[in-house]
Amino acid sequence: MTFARRDYRAVVVGAGIIGLYTAYHLARRGAGPVLVVDRGFLSSGGSGRNGGGVRQQWETRGTIRLAREAVAAYRRFGRDFGTNVWFRQGGYLFLAEGPAELERLARVHEVVRSEGLPSQLLTAEQVAERVPGIAPGSVVGGSFLASDGTVYPFPAVWGLYEAVRALGVEVVLGVSALGVRAEQGRVQGVETSAGPAGAPTVVNAAGGWSAEFSRACGLEVPNVATRHEILATEPMKPFLDPMVVRASDGLYFSQTMRGELVGGLTVPHEPGTRRGVPSSPRFVTAMARALVGLLPRLRGLGVLRAWAGFYDDSPDGLPVIGEDPRLGGFVHANGFGGHGFMLAPSASERVARAVLAEPVDLDPKEFSPARFLGSGAAPSRERLQLG
Amino acid sequence: MGRSTSRQFRFGRAQLEARDGESLLAALARRGWPSLVRSVRYHRPRGPMCGVGDCTGCLVRVNGVPNQRACRRPVREGDQVLTENSWPSPRHDLFGIADLLLPHGLDTVHGLRRPAFLTGTYQRAVRRLAGYGHAPDPPASATAAEPHRREAEVLVVGAGRSGRASAEALVRAGLRPLLLERRADAVPVDGAETLAGTTASMLAPPAGGTDRFSLLGFDLDGAGVVVRARSVVVATGGYDAGLLFEGSDRPGVVTGDLALSGVGLPLGPSVIVGSGERARTVVERLGKDAAAVVAFGDIGPELVRTAAELEVPLYPRSRVVRAVGRGRVRALEVARRDGAGRFRLACSAVVLAHRRLPNDQLLFQAGAARSWRDTPGAYFPEVDRRGRTGVARLFAVGSAARPAGSAAPSADELADAVRGQETTLAPSPPELGGRPGELLAYYRELLRERRRGKWVLCPCEDVLLEEVERAVERGFRGLEVVKRYTGVGTGLCQGRYCLPEAIVALAILEGRPPTEVGFITQRPPLVPTPLSALAAVAGEFATELPP
Repeated sequence: MTFARRDYRAVVVGAGIIGLYTAYHLARRGAGPVLVVDRGFLSSGGSGRNGGGVRQQWETRGTIRLAREAVAAYRRFGRDFGTNVWFRQGGYLFLAEGPAELERLARVHEVVRSEGLPSQLLTAEQVAERVPGIAPGSVVGGSFLASDGTVYPFPAVWGLYEAVRALGVEVVLGVSALGVRAEQGRVQGVETSAGPAGAPTVVNAAGGWSAEFSRACGLEVPNVATRHEILATEPMKPFLDPMVVRASDGLYFSQTMRGELVGGLTVPHEPGTRRGVPSSPRFVTAMARALVGLLPRLRGLGVLRAWAGFYDDSPDGLPVIGEDPRLGGFVHANGFGGHGFMLAPSASERVARAVLAEPVDLDPKEFSPARFLGSGAAPSRERLQLG
Repeated sequence: MGRSTSRQFRFGRAQLEARDGESLLAALARRGWPSLVRSVRYHRPRGPMCGVGDCTGCLVRVNGVPNQRACRRPVREGDQVLTENSWPSPRHDLFGIADLLLPHGLDTVHGLRRPAFLTGTYQRAVRRLAGYGHAPDPPASATAAEPHRREAEVLVVGAGRSGRASAEALVRAGLRPLLLERRADAVPVDGAETLAGTTASMLAPPAGGTDRFSLLGFDLDGAGVVVRARSVVVATGGYDAGLLFEGSDRPGVVTGDLALSGVGLPLGPSVIVGSGERARTVVERLGKDAAAVVAFGDIGPELVRTAAELEVPLYPRSRVVRAVGRGRVRALEVARRDGAGRFRLACSAVVLAHRRLPNDQLLFQAGAARSWRDTPGAYFPEVDRRGRTGVARLFAVGSAARPAGSAAPSADELADAVRGQETTLAPSPPELGGRPGELLAYYRELLRERRRGKWVLCPCEDVLLEEVERAVERGFRGLEVVKRYTGVGTGLCQGRYCLPEAIVALAILEGRPPTEVGFITQRPPLVPTPLSALAAVAGEFATELPP
């Protein structure tokens, strides 16, 4: 028997940042026995493959509010969970290459400011002060929020892993969830590669595999897994504080605590291509060209390694949080579109509330799975899907 | 030698001269033992270790670009060379205090999480400890070197013995191979095109409707190289592995590769660790500087003969315990495995020639499989008697493909296989002598030692064995997880000198066989590749679909 019990209050599918945080919030609320299963090892999915950005600059107010809470949570993560996530608030700097982009950033800036966050619009000269060596004439300006920052993703996963286990949550790695057992439109348990586990609730926090799991449970969902790649350069002494993001092509990079420049670029990949995570010459060379074009001083710097991971994209760029109206007890915690780490602490708290059927303070138009089931178009949309 | 064949360069404030074609390290080594680097976290003294461009023991800043390997970079007229990561000098570095203040290393996962007002200061201090060199200076000119583009029916990577033999056989078979070689002084093969001074860094299998492999690399000027080839023969050879013991990161502890390279480092009296052909070759090369041979098991008859001729004492069935010295190694402490005591061998260098591992990362990038071999205690690619790998039209020959001493495919058989369309891999049982699991036994005995100083498992990132032990104690198991937890294998050498050791150490700490600990396919590129070289060939791949 792989599992310690036959029945649980909830089974969480996915031991990434969302799944573990959800388990944590459930355990803290005294929900009863919780089981977390994951098909891989710790950090094998998106939680171990992301660029570590945490920002509060968004187009949609609901996301800004979640992100603000998340920043506060990462600030106290070390004290709460015992591991340093090296949350460094070097700011997020969005670059505009032309007036149209600057206008778009200005609109976001207005929303962010009206939520009480002191974001700034920068001139090209002010951008150059924050990005030493930026190619002259490459930007017309940017927007900046000093309290945004970066975390080192792995220790967040480790800290939560240790914390939830200390709270009695059972985490079983290397076990795939294959589907749910349902009766009369309600979840009764989960089928896994290691056998069944009974539970009235299952949380789909499977990240890049969430659509696959939903479908295996008979639920058609619009989520699409898209492959994104990242590279890291050789480590250097600190020279760059903010996370830098370019709106036009999705270029983003920051200098990590280890001194490496880590970043990515949106290279269109056909969805549904092989699920592998090797990096492609196409990405590595396109990323190199973008970096060298923006920061010519990096030319001689070596690329140390590159890797790939999967975003779990929803059609409107907003996460999917809440119970599926078609299947009682099936709770979505997915569709984060590469921003799971940024929103996990606060979004997962809402997931836990949904599991416990407590009221959730999220706008259903923005976050509920029901928004894709109705006839009309989704009214809200988050287009700042970068970095 | 006339004046025209020498190169003037600056090393710090000194004006120095190098011979034509000489590497920076060789030019510096003529002045004596080169102290160029302090380690990244604890500022421990480090010296050149591998001599083949993989370790971090000879990193210097050249003309404003950080982290250049002095052993691989030919001296150019007017080069400005500076040391990195130490003050005032690598030999006397005030930051070396970090090593003394942190006897058990820095636990960055759990260290100093409160009080809140101190964590910011702590974070800034830790951030400054990271990295070797400072960010590059703005470039003097924006002109990028023109990239090289080649199409080939067959690409042979590596112009060592096996690569050359393969290229010659392919020529005999009527093909015109392209031969790629990292060294600048490769001798051309008749009938083959040779691209010398070119480092391969990525090999992608055919993708997006093409039937060509794509190889990405760069030349000595940092120009990008793209080769599209229908078939690829990987002949990248092998390298001498590292070994963990107390002080194994000390300057003077080097691999056989460095001892046999043309760098001409003044090693002085050297203890050679190893029992086979590789160790014998080193003993022969070092001649009167070969002070002793230490081997964990029995010593091979050829090495016994050579050692007798040169009057080099042999210490079989003995285990290396620690390298003694404050800066450079002064002696090697050795224990008799039968319990008959410990002794010190005075020396100024320790040459590791105990285990040769394959340079097989290109194969795995392109999708080849691998399997564990108890002897010599490492993973090797799955390659059959004709050089086939199981990936269609990807072949491997020589030390890149199999352990030293096992049967190699004949070059003509390989040429047949390349010409033919066969893609299935015929299983080939390992044909090996030696005692299985000797390396496991070494580490089992080593881990029972009382620890006095730091045991640096990963010299690039200063990861200590203690950190791995802490990870395992906390329930983080398996190489993939422990790699992320400790950083082992994520440094500039891409894990060449620590992952093979980490697998065995983890197997013992976790109490399971090495095969269950797992392995890691090194993430591309194989070696740090200049951004400018990659940027220059971006157009080549702009429309390519992912693998």
